[in-house]
Order: sequence, then C-alpha cells, then structure tokens
Amino acid sequence: MRKKPRFHSLKKLKVRQDWSRWSLYSIAQLRPPNVTTKTYFQQKWTAKSDTRAYHGEQIREKKWKRMFRRSLPAVVPMDHNYLARYDGSEQAAGRGAGADQQEKQRTPPQTPYMQMTYYPIERRLDTAIFRALFASSVRQARQFVVHGLVKVNGKKMPYPGYLLNPGDMFQVEPSSVMFATGAPKKRSSTARKVAKEKAAERASAREEAPAPRNPNQDAATTAAPKREEPTPKELKEHMQSLMLDVENVLNEDVGAKDKQKFRAFRQTVRKAVSLWSKATPETVSTLDSQFAFLKGALNERRAAQTAAPAEEEATPMFSPEDQKKLRQAFEKLKLETEHTSAWNKRDARAPYATPWRPRDYMPAFAFIPRYLEVNQNICAAVYLRHPVARPGLAEVPTPFNHETGQLAFNWYLRNR
Amino acid sequence: MPPRLRASHLSASVSYISVRPQSIAQPARTARDFSQSSCRLVTQRRRKFYEWLNGPGRPLKQPIPGSTNYLGAYDKYGNLVRAGSVPEKTSDKDKEAEAKAKAKAKAGITEGQQTADEATAEGQESLEKLDEALRQQAKEEQAEKKKKTDEQQLSPETMEDLRPFPLNKFFRSQPVLSEELREAIYQFVVKEGKPVPLASITFGVSNERIGAVVRLKQMEKQWIAQGKTLAMPYSKAVLEMLPTTPYIDTSLPKNAGKRPIVHEPINDLIVHPATRQQLFVPVAESRQFTRVDAGKAFDNNLLPADERIPHPELVKVVRDEVTGYSKEERRALAEQRYLEAMEKKKKAEEAKKREELETKRTVPQRRWDFVFRDVSVEHAGRNGRDPRGVGWRYGLPHQDRKKGQVKIPTKVEA
Repeated sequence: MRKKPRFHSLKKLKVRQDWSRWSLYSIAQLRPPNVTTKTYFQQKWTAKSDTRAYHGEQIREKKWKRMFRRSLPAVVPMDHNYLARYDGSEQAAGRGAGADQQEKQRTPPQTPYMQMTYYPIERRLDTAIFRALFASSVRQARQFVVHGLVKVNGKKMPYPGYLLNPGDMFQVEPSSVMFATGAPKKRSSTARKVAKEKAAERASAREEAPAPRNPNQDAATTAAPKREEPTPKELKEHMQSLMLDVENVLNEDVGAKDKQKFRAFRQTVRKAVSLWSKATPETVSTLDSQFAFLKGALNERRAAQTAAPAEEEATPMFSPEDQKKLRQAFEKLKLETEHTSAWNKRDARAPYATPWRPRDYMPAFAFIPRYLEVNQNICAAVYLRHPVARPGLAEVPTPFNHETGQLAFNWYLRNR
Repeated sequence: MPPRLRASHLSASVSYISVRPQSIAQPARTARDFSQSSCRLVTQRRRKFYEWLNGPGRPLKQPIPGSTNYLGAYDKYGNLVRAGSVPEKTSDKDKEAEAKAKAKAKAGITEGQQTADEATAEGQESLEKLDEALRQQAKEEQAEKKKKTDEQQLSPETMEDLRPFPLNKFFRSQPVLSEELREAIYQFVVKEGKPVPLASITFGVSNERIGAVVRLKQMEKQWIAQGKTLAMPYSKAVLEMLPTTPYIDTSLPKNAGKRPIVHEPINDLIVHPATRQQLFVPVAESRQFTRVDAGKAFDNNLLPADERIPHPELVKVVRDEVTGYSKEERRALAEQRYLEAMEKKKKAEEAKKREELETKRTVPQRRWDFVFRDVSVEHAGRNGRDPRGVGWRYGLPHQDRKKGQVKIPTKVEA
C-alpha cells in the first residue's frame, strides 16, 4: 500500500484548518493559480486539491460531493430611507428626452459568490467549534465532539457531522477549551509527581470495590419533602441569618483567599428562595432573578401585613438600606465568581501551561465569522444563520484567491 | 503613501533575523545511506521554513497587546506596515469623513432627541459607511489616548490589516461585540423589557444576534449564580486579539450627541433564488413599473424588498415622515402598528393552539398518556415515504439499513 502523505508536508505545501506554524507558513507561501502554463483541467484539479486540503479534509470526497450545492446564498444590505422615498420606478423610467444622468453611478463592489463554494461545510458541528475559537484545529474539535465534551441546545451531541440549524447553541467544556487554546504544558517534576499521585489514587479506588447502592434508598432521599408556606417566625429567622451573612460578605475582601463565606452566603440565599415553595429553581436561576424574587416575595408579605396588622412585628422587612446592602452583596458575589475564574494561578493539575496564556501563533488565526455569536466566558456559541456572501465580502473563511475558489467551484459542477 | 520603514519601533520583535537557527543544525549529509538521490532539497525546504518562522513569521507568534495581529498587516519582510506610517498624516478622504462626522454630531445636538423608532445608529446606510464609522471611532479613541499618554501608539487597523489571509481580499476579520455592549443589550431587553426589534435598531445589531446575546448572557448569569468557574483568562485573551465593537453609553454626559456604533447592517435582503436569472421584460415607457411589478415579473409570490427586509417598520416610519406627519403622530402610528402586529401574532398562536386541542385527544393513564391524532392515508404521500405517514405500509421496506442513509439527528429541540 502507498504510504500516506504527511499531514504537514513541506514538499507539498497544503493549508490545513489548524493553528500550527506549518499552516501559517503555507498561508504565507500561497500564490494565485498558475493559469498560463496549465490546461483548464489541470488548473481545476490543483484548485480542488488545494481547497479540499483545507475545507473539510476530514470528510470523504464522496460525502462532500453530496453536500455540494451549486446555488450559493447571498444578501444585499438595503437602505430603508431609499426604500421609503422611492418605489423603484425611477430605475425603469425612460431615458429619452434628455433624461440622462449627469453623474455616473458608482458600481457596488462585486459579490464574491465563488468564495462560498464550501459553505455547507461551515454548518458542520466540528467546523463551527473550530470557527468559534474553541479548538485549535478541526480534528481536535472533532475529537471533542466524539469524546462527549460538546452539547447542542443543552444535550450531548456525539456526532461531529451534525449540521447546525440556525439558532442552535453549542457549548464546549471550558477546561477543554482552555486546554485546546492554551500553551502546551512542559513536563516538570511536579507534573510527574501529580501524575503519579493520581495513578496511585486510581489504583486504590479500583482495589476498594464500590458497594452496589440500593436504588430504593436513593429514591427515598432524592424525593423532596413537600414545602408549605413558611411561617412568619421561620421567615424572620431566615432573614436575620441572611442579613448577618450580608454583613460578613460585605466585610470580606474580594481577593481574599477563603471563599467559604461567599459559598455560605450563596447557600443561605438558596435556602431563603426555597422557603417560598412556589418558586421553581428554573425561574430564579440567576443572581438577579434571585434578588428580584426575594424582594418581590417580601413585598407580597408586606402587603398581606397591612391587611392583617396583628402579626406586624412577627415578620421582618427590608429597609431600603438593607436592600441596598443586599444588592451590594449580590454584586460582590458576582465579582467574586469572576475573580476566581480570572485568578490565573499556577496549577500543576491543569492539562495546559499555567498561568494560562494563548498558544503560539493563535493571534494570526483568531477571527470569528459573523454567522456565529460567541460568549467566551461560558465557551458557548449560537449558530445564527448560514454564511452568506454580500457585496465585497464572503463569510466563509478561506485562505485562497478568488480565482482558486472559482476553479474549485467549477470542478464540482461536474462538467469537466 | 509614506515609505515602509524596515526598522520599526517594534524592532526587537520584528526585525529580520537571517541567522540560521540552532534547531536545524544537522550534520551535513549529501545523501541518505541507501538512497542515490541527494537530500539537499529537503534540507533546503526545511531551512527556508525555519528562516521564515524566525524572520517574517516571528512577530505573529505572540499577540500585540491591545491590537489584532494578522498576517495581512505585515509586508513580506515581516514589518508591521501600519507601524511605519505616521498616524497624524490623514488623507483627504479621512479629513472629509471627519468633517462630516463633526457636522453630523452637531446636527444630532441641534435636532435633539429623536423618536425611538427613528433613532437608527450611525452609519446604517451602507457597508462602507459602517466601516468608516468604526474606524472613525477608533481614531477618536486613539486621539484621546494620545492626549493622555504621549507615548508611541499603533495607529488603528485598516481593512488590509484585518486580513488573516492576505491572498483572499474578500475576507477580513470583522469586529465582535464587546463585553460592555453585550451587557447593555441584555439590560435593554431583559431588565427594561424592550422589544427585540427596537434593541436591534438602537444598537445596530441584527435581530438574531440580539436573541443569541440575551440567551448566552442569561446562561452566563446562571453559571455565576451556581458558582461555576468561567473561562475568564481565555475570554480576556481572545477579546483582546479580536477587533471589537465598543459600547457608547449615550446617557453619559461625555457621549452627548453621539450615536451608538453600528455593529452590522440590520436590513439585509436575502437574494431570492427566483431573482438569480436575468429577465428582459418589455414595458411601456409611460407605465409606472415599480418594485412590486418587478417582483411579480420574477415570481408571482415574490414580495417587494420593503416587506422582505427584517425591519419593514423602519420603512413605514420614514414614509410617514415623507407624507408630512409630525413627530408625535409618527410615534403614535408606529406604536399602533406594533401593537396591531403583536395582536395578530397572538391571535394566530391562539388559533393554532385551539386547532391542536381540537384535533388531538389525550387519554391519561397511570404512567403514559395515550395521544390520538387525526391521520389520513394521503399523509404518506405519493411515494409513501413522507415522514407524516403512519404505520407499516405493505410492500414498502424501510430504508434505514441502506447504504448512505444518515442517522445523525437533523435537529435538537432547544
């Protein structure tokens, strides 16, 4: 059997979809196609082979041929002022009787349809992950998908060939993203020690065979007891503890090492929220909504009180300054979370070099096309729409000249 | 054009290193032990590769702080082109644009506030103007910075500098939303409860993107509430590498008279497949042949552009202005139209729900519910393979074991 050619070969320079120095070098060495000394077939063949080495190189040729579409999507930006003021008849109006235009209309830039040949590939999940800068190559993105690190709309999606629909949200495990985009780890003595420790742990865990758990017992513990409306006394106690925690949290410096107080505060908030049985955890999932919910519930309580003034002193209320304090505490909690994640310290257990820094040559490849909306904090992105061509701009990122794109498109038209 | 300077201020990192690196120093062999051909060529290729990496490719290894770092920004010797050019020397075009912008700002101040529907963000008219607005903003920021710190700064990127692939002049790295802008959009839509089209118009961000930003931001806040670790270092590094659209808070006094920067064109008209062909329609010169007629000529069901764009309400507002309505009247009309549209949508949804209730019958059981739906034989379609068809059809084998049948799901419910 013939030997498989190198993936990054200096002999046959091919641009690949990754952030390697070989790719960068081959992008820098790319030239427009040679049209003078080659036949048309040869030109198309070279163009096809070059572009296919970049676009969906992991897909078999037959599969790509089935995906290929000869109709390419495009949009034209419209001006609403023009649409409102003219009904279009002035373009069809006669040019007779000296109605010629004095100034020549500027021609709009060309719409690069031919750079859109490979737009169906951009719909694939693995390619989209690479384009959202969550993986350093398409093959790595594919591995993430296969290993179950990727969710689409909150559900695990193990197929790298899944074609994203407009509006689909995909998210990748943040630690994997940091590993993929971070500088690689150098072997060190501590790392070796950690690896050894881990292996020892695993071995010991294997030796102690886990006892099979009783499923009935689990069900009994997970079944939550039904909550009733909290009594005023309970409420008061809870609010007092909450306010105590607020004091604690506000006294704490954000950068401090111990986060136990913050965690305890979050716990008390959870408890306070769960006191009102009607609220489901979904509706009060964010900090803001938790705060709004607490406030709203208290206001309700207050309204009930004015109706029944007998239990006035029994239930606690938030004075405006207390509210302000509580709000501040929530803000601080938010800041703290951000800070802990930003806290980019040395960590021998992390699979990437710590403190985290982007890998070499990443900035040269860092761009996010407009058909994706990415939130880097949670490593999630939304596929907004299919890529389109517009005047002067094609949204499919391709390193090749538009003539190469044209030749490749013509190759797949099958009239060769 | 100013001369391209070889030795820029980044000389330490940028300068061309012609010394052969250590890594390829190998014993010089003329041929392999068992081969007749010389391996001179191979080593030459490798030498060139490392020469490029250590010379022109060197500055691309690390990000430039506060700026993008793409291959298109360098010449073939590895010099940053825009580092050599002098930022003070603006071309005539730029000067014109500046003057225009100033006039615009003045006009904005004199005009006072505009109605909510009218307030389109700056540079909405065309793609070039959009870019211009962005660059203008960058320039202003630059000027401010210069006033603050007199140290040497890189001039803002031009279109060429944003090209990661120098050979493809039809692709460039387009700006993404900055963190502040995302937060502002979230606040606008969720906290203030404003409709999505209004957010799209005020921020100059397309409808779908507004929805996506809100969805992602919601999730981020959930993560914070749950105490999950965010990928902060990654996020900071990536957003620094990318061009971003800044957020201009118009409520601040220093931004008075400014309008938010447009992120992308919001009124994109999709090229309909029926309009791809060229058509020659003879029309009498006396006839008023409008866009509607042109659409009919291509396809009987093709609507005119004013109804197919994502924001047809903008066209209607301008039309009211042309007709001569006053500002209050225009505003009232726009609101009325919006309410009517919402009413219509609500009614349609209710009707759909009612219809479903009528056709679907549910019999609740202990564990599972039985659901009965009306089915017709015709649902199977002409070839009997329509997915709406129910049950086993005699003589029609399943295709799922056939070669080439894809079993990957085609959609995931959100």
